[in-house]
Amino acid sequence: MLLEVRGLSTAYQGLLAIQGVSIEVDTGEIVVVAGANGAGKSTLLKSISGMERPRSGEVVFDGARIDGLPGHAITARGIAYVPENKRLFPRLSVSDNLRLGSYLHRKEADREAPLERVFTLFPRLKERLPQRAGTLSGGEQQMLAIGRALMTRPRLLMLDEPSLGLAPLIVAEVMRTVARLRDEGVAILLVEQNARAALQIADHGYVLDGGSVVLQGDSRTLQGDARVVETYLGTLAVDDAPPSRAASGR
Amino acid sequence: MTTQALVQVLASGLLMGLIYALIAVGLSLIFGLMDVVNFAHGEFLMLAMYATFGLVLVTQLDPVVLMPLVAALLFVLGAAAYLGVVRFAMRAKANQGMVQIFATFGLAILLQGAAQYLFTPDYRNVQNTWLGGRTLDLGGIFLPWPQIFGAFVSLAAFGGLHLLMSRTDFGRALEATREDQGAVALVGIDRNRVFALGWGLGAALVGLAGAVLAIFYYIHPQVGASFALIAYVTVALGGFGSVGGALVAGIIVGLVEAVTAVILPPALKSIGVYALYLAVVFARPQGLFGRL
Repeated sequence: MLLEVRGLSTAYQGLLAIQGVSIEVDTGEIVVVAGANGAGKSTLLKSISGMERPRSGEVVFDGARIDGLPGHAITARGIAYVPENKRLFPRLSVSDNLRLGSYLHRKEADREAPLERVFTLFPRLKERLPQRAGTLSGGEQQMLAIGRALMTRPRLLMLDEPSLGLAPLIVAEVMRTVARLRDEGVAILLVEQNARAALQIADHGYVLDGGSVVLQGDSRTLQGDARVVETYLGTLAVDDAPPSRAASGR
Repeated sequence: MTTQALVQVLASGLLMGLIYALIAVGLSLIFGLMDVVNFAHGEFLMLAMYATFGLVLVTQLDPVVLMPLVAALLFVLGAAAYLGVVRFAMRAKANQGMVQIFATFGLAILLQGAAQYLFTPDYRNVQNTWLGGRTLDLGGIFLPWPQIFGAFVSLAAFGGLHLLMSRTDFGRALEATREDQGAVALVGIDRNRVFALGWGLGAALVGLAGAVLAIFYYIHPQVGASFALIAYVTVALGGFGSVGGALVAGIIVGLVEAVTAVILPPALKSIGVYALYLAVVFARPQGLFGRL
């Protein structure tokens, strides 16, 4: 198992935002964490990435405990995290943002392959290289955030609500990219409030509610689970579901 | 006033202004990086001057040759000030801004007291240097060589700093940390390391200035204070955190000071600088090139 989270609890402003959460992600998998707003999904990713310090529990990555390590050290271990607000460097150029992504692999030769991969995935970024990151559209910023994360050469990519605020067509593109990255060997941990699009590409899923895992299973089972459909994919999801991806999921 | 006298005043002001810019740039760099005003900046300058004095005594080499060594020593001092003092001040749970001000202010008092104790309050000067006391005669306009040298050191330092910031990975890491110090961990940058190196770099720059000043200025434990005051004015004028702003503002301060010294009695030569500062604070509080 690449990532094992065992009984993780994290307090946020004095309150436990997640309690005893256990999840697993393996290489070659997309794992989705779904749940309503405030269910603790973002806190879970922040706790794994070192942005928040967990109060108790363990995070084991590639056989070693990483909970309690500072964020930069966790990135260096091979976990890239794209937070919900992306945290790009808005006044720096697209090119500088990408180069900063490879700060840990500074030899020019080590930079070429990841950069090529980012340009293959997001050709639009190549046209925007000299532009300031803050002037990009929402979709382009999401691409840059994922691109910058890929430049760290991660083995696990954690994405927090990558589809938030994006047009359905772009959401579909982001999801296609995520599926492609999984096939290229990057494990994916994806947090989504609207789980429909995410479950379609996922292998495994967890549902968080009130800071704890209330449901888990293989993504097809979850998509067929009446409680999930009712509570998390319900009527609202029908309206903003992205164009269906042919032959995926059910 | 004759044209020649005017040119003389402006040229002297320009040279001093470039040296003021070099004194101020480290202060601005550190502020831009982490929003901390280093109130011990003048004491860094004072220690750089003593370091030059001491090294000249020991090695019998010229300050010009010793300058890189002084900058290196100050780099260590700056990084140590961050790692030993400021880092802890930044962890304050309440009133972080106040804690930082008092931490660097306390550091200033400590360094000044230590200098007074170790070096005595006597005025020192570095004697028999290559440049000290020499002037360049440009058809009746006399320019002191130490200031000419200092101005070139300043320009070279600004040029080098610009290249460092725009062309290197470390420079990019500095810029990124300025932008969002919480986000650099996402790309594997240890912000504490960047802060320590930033303080080292800022102190090394004032180290260069100290080595230059030691050639033509008296050295005593309080020498930092007057230059620090000018540095704060320069940084505020240029815009807190702006490196280019420090260069332009330093030149302006030098010119205004030189012109004031001619118009008013020499004892009042600082009045013009502070009047200009007040005008800028009222008209453009973010400084010439600052962002608010």
